[in-house]
Amino acid sequence: MSKSKAGLLQGTLDMLILKALSLGALHGYGVGQRIAQISDETLKIEEGSLYPGLYRLERRGWIESEWDVSDNNQRAKFYKLTRTGRKQLILEEQNWERLAGATMKALRAS
Amino acid sequence: MYRIKATIRFLHAWRHPDQIAREVERELRFHIEMRTAANIESGMRPSEAQLAARQSFGDFHRFKTECCEISRTLPFDSTVLKMAMYITIAVLAGGAALWAVNMPHHNFTGVLWQLIAIVVLARSFVVGRRAISTKQFQGHHSSVVFVTDDERFREDKGFLSDVCEAHSVGIAAHDEQGRTPVERMFN
Repeated sequence: MSKSKAGLLQGTLDMLILKALSLGALHGYGVGQRIAQISDETLKIEEGSLYPGLYRLERRGWIESEWDVSDNNQRAKFYKLTRTGRKQLILEEQNWERLAGATMKALRAS
Repeated sequence: MYRIKATIRFLHAWRHPDQIAREVERELRFHIEMRTAANIESGMRPSEAQLAARQSFGDFHRFKTECCEISRTLPFDSTVLKMAMYITIAVLAGGAALWAVNMPHHNFTGVLWQLIAIVVLARSFVVGRRAISTKQFQGHHSSVVFVTDDERFREDKGFLSDVCEAHSVGIAAHDEQGRTPVERMFN
Protein backbone atom coordinates (compact mmCIF):
# COMPACT_ATOMS: atom_id res chain seq x y z
CA MET A 1 0.00 0.00 0.00
CA SER A 2 1.37 3.41 -0.88
CA LYS A 3 2.26 5.83 1.85
CA SER A 4 0.84 9.33 1.79
CA LYS A 5 2.38 12.30 3.50
CA ALA A 6 1.10 15.53 4.96
CA GLY A 7 2.57 18.52 6.72
CA LEU A 8 1.69 19.06 10.36
CA LEU A 9 0.74 22.26 12.08
CA GLN A 10 3.21 25.12 12.24
CA GLY A 11 5.45 24.94 15.27
CA THR A 12 5.32 21.15 15.39
CA LEU A 13 8.94 20.79 14.36
CA ASP A 14 10.10 23.10 17.13
CA MET A 15 8.04 21.21 19.68
CA LEU A 16 9.41 17.88 18.48
CA ILE A 17 12.98 19.15 18.71
CA LEU A 18 12.35 20.30 22.28
CA LYS A 19 10.86 16.92 23.12
CA ALA A 20 13.80 15.03 21.59
CA LEU A 21 16.27 17.15 23.54
CA SER A 22 14.34 16.73 26.79
CA LEU A 23 15.65 13.18 26.80
CA GLY A 24 19.30 14.30 26.71
CA ALA A 25 21.88 16.29 24.74
CA LEU A 26 22.17 15.41 21.05
CA HIS A 27 23.74 16.62 17.82
CA GLY A 28 21.47 17.58 14.93
CA TYR A 29 21.60 14.17 13.28
CA GLY A 30 20.75 12.56 16.62
CA VAL A 31 17.73 14.83 17.04
CA GLY A 32 16.31 13.63 13.73
CA GLN A 33 16.98 10.02 14.66
CA ARG A 34 15.37 10.40 18.05
CA ILE A 35 12.23 12.02 16.67
CA ALA A 36 11.85 9.15 14.19
CA GLN A 37 12.50 6.65 16.97
CA ILE A 38 10.09 8.01 19.55
CA SER A 39 7.34 8.42 16.99
CA ASP A 40 7.82 4.82 15.77
CA GLU A 41 9.10 6.16 12.42
CA THR A 42 5.72 7.80 11.87
CA LEU A 43 7.05 11.37 11.83
CA LYS A 44 9.82 12.06 9.37
CA ILE A 45 11.70 15.29 9.09
CA GLU A 46 13.28 16.82 6.04
CA GLU A 47 16.72 16.47 7.56
CA GLY A 48 18.23 19.79 6.56
CA SER A 49 15.27 21.74 7.91
CA LEU A 50 16.14 20.60 11.41
CA TYR A 51 19.04 23.02 11.52
CA PRO A 52 17.21 26.32 10.99
CA GLY A 53 14.83 24.98 13.65
CA LEU A 54 17.70 24.32 16.04
CA TYR A 55 19.23 27.75 15.41
CA ARG A 56 15.87 29.43 15.94
CA LEU A 57 15.33 27.66 19.24
CA GLU A 58 18.84 28.52 20.36
CA ARG A 59 18.27 32.16 19.50
CA ARG A 60 15.16 32.10 21.71
CA GLY A 61 17.17 30.65 24.56
CA TRP A 62 15.25 27.39 24.69
CA ILE A 63 18.25 25.28 23.80
CA GLU A 64 22.00 25.84 23.98
CA SER A 65 24.86 24.30 22.06
CA GLU A 66 28.52 23.43 22.38
CA TRP A 67 31.07 21.64 20.22
CA ASP A 68 32.14 18.27 21.52
CA VAL A 69 33.43 14.94 20.28
CA SER A 70 30.83 12.49 19.01
CA ASP A 71 30.78 8.69 19.37
CA ASN A 72 32.71 8.32 16.12
CA ASN A 73 35.43 10.71 17.33
CA GLN A 74 34.38 13.60 15.15
CA ARG A 75 33.73 17.08 16.36
CA ALA A 76 30.00 17.77 16.44
CA LYS A 77 27.74 20.47 17.80
CA PHE A 78 25.62 19.15 20.65
CA TYR A 79 22.38 20.77 21.74
CA LYS A 80 20.69 20.60 25.09
CA LEU A 81 17.52 21.98 26.57
CA THR A 82 17.70 25.03 28.84
CA ARG A 83 15.46 25.58 31.83
CA THR A 84 13.38 28.03 29.78
CA GLY A 85 13.15 25.44 27.02
CA ARG A 86 11.88 22.83 29.45
CA LYS A 87 9.16 25.22 30.64
CA GLN A 88 8.28 26.02 27.04
CA LEU A 89 7.98 22.33 26.22
CA ILE A 90 5.50 21.84 29.05
CA LEU A 91 3.50 24.79 27.76
CA GLU A 92 3.54 23.44 24.23
CA GLU A 93 2.48 19.98 25.38
CA GLN A 94 -0.48 21.54 27.17
CA ASN A 95 -1.39 23.59 24.10
CA TRP A 96 -1.13 20.53 21.89
CA GLU A 97 -3.30 18.46 24.20
CA ARG A 98 -5.90 21.22 24.27
CA LEU A 99 -5.88 21.49 20.49
CA ALA A 100 -6.04 17.72 19.95
CA GLY A 101 -8.78 17.37 22.56
CA ALA A 102 -10.85 20.17 21.06
CA THR A 103 -10.42 18.78 17.55
CA MET A 104 -11.42 15.28 18.60
CA LYS A 105 -14.40 16.67 20.50
CA ALA A 106 -15.50 18.56 17.40
CA LEU A 107 -15.07 15.48 15.22
CA ARG A 108 -17.04 13.26 17.54
CA ALA A 109 -19.91 15.70 17.79
CA SER A 110 -22.99 14.25 16.23
CA MET B 1 21.39 35.38 31.45
CA TYR B 2 20.53 33.87 28.07
CA ARG B 3 19.95 37.34 26.67
CA ILE B 4 23.52 38.28 27.50
CA LYS B 5 24.83 35.08 25.90
CA ALA B 6 22.57 35.56 22.89
CA THR B 7 23.73 39.15 22.47
CA ILE B 8 27.37 38.09 22.63
CA ARG B 9 26.70 35.35 20.06
CA PHE B 10 24.82 37.82 17.86
CA LEU B 11 27.69 40.34 17.97
CA HIS B 12 30.17 37.56 17.29
CA ALA B 13 28.11 36.45 14.28
CA TRP B 14 28.14 40.01 12.95
CA ARG B 15 31.86 40.47 13.49
CA HIS B 16 32.89 37.07 12.12
CA PRO B 17 30.35 36.01 9.48
CA ASP B 18 32.89 33.75 7.73
CA GLN B 19 33.62 31.84 10.91
CA ILE B 20 29.90 31.31 11.53
CA ALA B 21 29.43 30.14 7.95
CA ARG B 22 32.30 27.65 8.35
CA GLU B 23 30.84 26.34 11.61
CA VAL B 24 27.40 25.91 10.08
CA GLU B 25 28.91 24.15 7.08
CA ARG B 26 30.91 21.82 9.31
CA GLU B 27 27.79 20.98 11.29
CA LEU B 28 25.71 20.25 8.19
CA ARG B 29 28.50 18.18 6.62
CA PHE B 30 28.74 16.14 9.80
CA HIS B 31 25.05 15.32 9.42
CA ILE B 32 25.50 14.17 5.81
CA GLU B 33 28.53 12.07 6.79
CA MET B 34 26.55 10.39 9.56
CA ARG B 35 23.67 9.69 7.20
CA THR B 36 26.08 8.34 4.56
CA ALA B 37 27.66 6.01 7.12
CA ALA B 38 24.20 4.79 8.19
CA ASN B 39 23.24 4.19 4.56
CA ILE B 40 26.43 2.18 3.96
CA GLU B 41 25.71 0.19 7.09
CA SER B 42 22.28 -0.64 5.74
CA GLY B 43 23.86 -2.13 2.62
CA MET B 44 24.20 0.70 0.10
CA ARG B 45 27.33 1.24 -2.01
CA PRO B 46 29.33 4.33 -0.90
CA SER B 47 28.44 6.41 -3.95
CA GLU B 48 24.75 5.54 -3.61
CA ALA B 49 24.87 6.13 0.13
CA GLN B 50 26.29 9.61 -0.32
CA LEU B 51 23.78 10.53 -2.99
CA ALA B 52 20.90 9.28 -0.87
CA ALA B 53 22.25 11.21 2.13
CA ARG B 54 22.39 14.44 0.13
CA GLN B 55 18.90 13.87 -1.19
CA SER B 56 17.38 13.20 2.20
CA PHE B 57 19.14 16.28 3.57
CA GLY B 58 17.58 18.63 1.04
CA ASP B 59 19.00 21.91 -0.24
CA PHE B 60 22.34 22.24 1.58
CA HIS B 61 23.01 25.84 0.58
CA ARG B 62 19.53 27.03 1.45
CA PHE B 63 19.71 25.56 4.94
CA LYS B 64 23.25 26.87 5.43
CA THR B 65 22.19 30.38 4.41
CA GLU B 66 19.12 30.17 6.63
CA CYS B 67 21.20 29.15 9.66
CA CYS B 68 23.71 31.96 9.04
CA GLU B 69 20.89 34.47 8.74
CA ILE B 70 19.29 33.31 12.00
CA SER B 71 22.68 33.72 13.72
CA ARG B 72 22.80 37.31 12.52
CA THR B 73 19.25 38.11 13.64
CA LEU B 74 18.75 40.25 16.71
CA PRO B 75 18.40 37.93 19.72
CA PHE B 76 15.16 39.56 20.83
CA ASP B 77 11.68 39.16 19.50
CA SER B 78 10.17 42.21 17.90
CA THR B 79 7.66 42.31 20.77
CA VAL B 80 10.51 42.87 23.22
CA LEU B 81 11.93 45.62 21.05
CA LYS B 82 8.49 47.17 20.82
CA MET B 83 8.14 47.05 24.59
CA ALA B 84 11.52 48.69 25.03
CA MET B 85 10.51 51.40 22.58
CA TYR B 86 7.24 52.10 24.37
CA ILE B 87 8.93 52.20 27.77
CA THR B 88 11.41 54.72 26.38
CA ILE B 89 8.57 56.82 24.99
CA ALA B 90 6.73 56.58 28.33
CA VAL B 91 9.79 57.76 30.23
CA LEU B 92 10.31 60.64 27.78
CA ALA B 93 6.61 61.56 28.03
CA GLY B 94 6.80 61.50 31.82
CA GLY B 95 9.87 63.73 31.71
CA ALA B 96 8.12 66.12 29.34
CA ALA B 97 5.09 66.25 31.64
CA LEU B 98 7.27 67.10 34.63
CA TRP B 99 9.02 69.78 32.61
CA ALA B 100 5.63 71.19 31.50
CA VAL B 101 4.30 71.29 35.09
CA ASN B 102 7.36 73.19 36.25
CA MET B 103 7.17 75.78 33.49
CA PRO B 104 6.31 79.39 34.60
CA HIS B 105 3.22 79.58 32.34
CA HIS B 106 2.01 76.05 32.70
CA ASN B 107 -1.73 76.55 32.81
CA PHE B 108 -2.50 75.61 29.22
CA THR B 109 0.76 74.06 27.95
CA GLY B 110 1.24 72.08 31.15
CA VAL B 111 -2.24 70.55 30.97
CA LEU B 112 -1.74 69.75 27.29
CA TRP B 113 1.58 68.05 27.96
CA GLN B 114 0.13 66.13 30.86
CA LEU B 115 -2.73 64.92 28.67
CA ILE B 116 -0.30 63.79 25.98
CA ALA B 117 1.82 62.06 28.62
CA ILE B 118 -1.23 60.24 30.05
CA VAL B 119 -2.29 59.05 26.59
CA VAL B 120 1.21 57.84 25.74
CA LEU B 121 1.59 56.13 29.12
CA ALA B 122 -1.78 54.39 28.78
CA ARG B 123 -0.90 53.28 25.26
CA SER B 124 2.49 51.98 26.43
CA PHE B 125 0.78 50.03 29.19
CA VAL B 126 -1.70 48.41 26.81
CA VAL B 127 0.94 47.52 24.22
CA GLY B 128 3.35 46.33 26.90
CA ARG B 129 0.74 43.99 28.40
CA ARG B 130 -0.16 42.65 24.98
CA ALA B 131 3.50 42.10 24.16
CA ILE B 132 4.06 40.16 27.38
CA SER B 133 1.07 37.91 26.83
CA THR B 134 1.84 37.29 23.15
CA LYS B 135 2.49 33.64 22.45
CA GLN B 136 6.05 33.43 21.23
CA PHE B 137 6.23 29.84 20.03
CA GLN B 138 5.75 30.05 16.30
CA GLY B 139 7.61 27.81 13.89
CA HIS B 140 7.95 29.45 10.50
CA HIS B 141 7.14 26.34 8.55
CA SER B 142 6.30 22.75 9.16
CA SER B 143 8.90 20.35 7.84
CA VAL B 144 7.57 17.32 9.61
CA VAL B 145 5.51 14.90 7.63
CA PHE B 146 3.18 12.31 8.97
CA VAL B 147 3.49 9.01 7.14
CA THR B 148 0.41 6.89 6.89
CA ASP B 149 -0.99 3.96 4.91
CA ASP B 150 -4.46 5.33 5.22
CA GLU B 151 -5.84 6.20 1.80
CA ARG B 152 -8.71 8.14 3.37
CA PHE B 153 -6.16 10.68 4.41
CA ARG B 154 -5.32 11.52 0.82
CA GLU B 155 -8.99 12.16 0.19
CA ASP B 156 -9.31 14.31 3.30
CA LYS B 157 -6.32 16.38 2.35
CA GLY B 158 -8.17 17.67 -0.70
CA PHE B 159 -10.61 19.82 1.21
CA LEU B 160 -8.91 20.46 4.50
CA SER B 161 -7.34 23.83 5.05
CA ASP B 162 -3.85 24.19 6.52
CA VAL B 163 -5.31 24.97 9.90
CA CYS B 164 -7.24 21.74 9.90
CA GLU B 165 -4.29 19.52 9.10
CA ALA B 166 -4.35 18.41 12.71
CA HIS B 167 -7.63 16.76 11.77
CA SER B 168 -5.83 14.28 9.56
CA VAL B 169 -3.41 13.50 12.35
CA GLY B 170 -6.32 12.96 14.69
CA ILE B 171 -8.15 10.60 12.34
CA ALA B 172 -5.50 8.72 10.51
CA ALA B 173 -2.81 8.30 13.09
CA HIS B 174 -4.58 7.13 16.18
CA ASP B 175 -3.52 3.87 17.75
CA GLU B 176 -5.78 1.34 19.46
CA GLN B 177 -6.16 3.75 22.42
CA GLY B 178 -7.03 6.59 20.11
CA ARG B 179 -3.78 8.50 20.60
CA THR B 180 -2.02 10.45 17.84
CA PRO B 181 1.75 9.89 17.21
CA VAL B 182 2.61 13.08 19.06
CA GLU B 183 0.39 12.14 21.98
CA ARG B 184 2.09 8.76 22.09
CA MET B 185 5.41 10.52 22.42
CA PHE B 186 4.24 12.61 25.32
CA ASN B 187 2.42 9.91 27.25
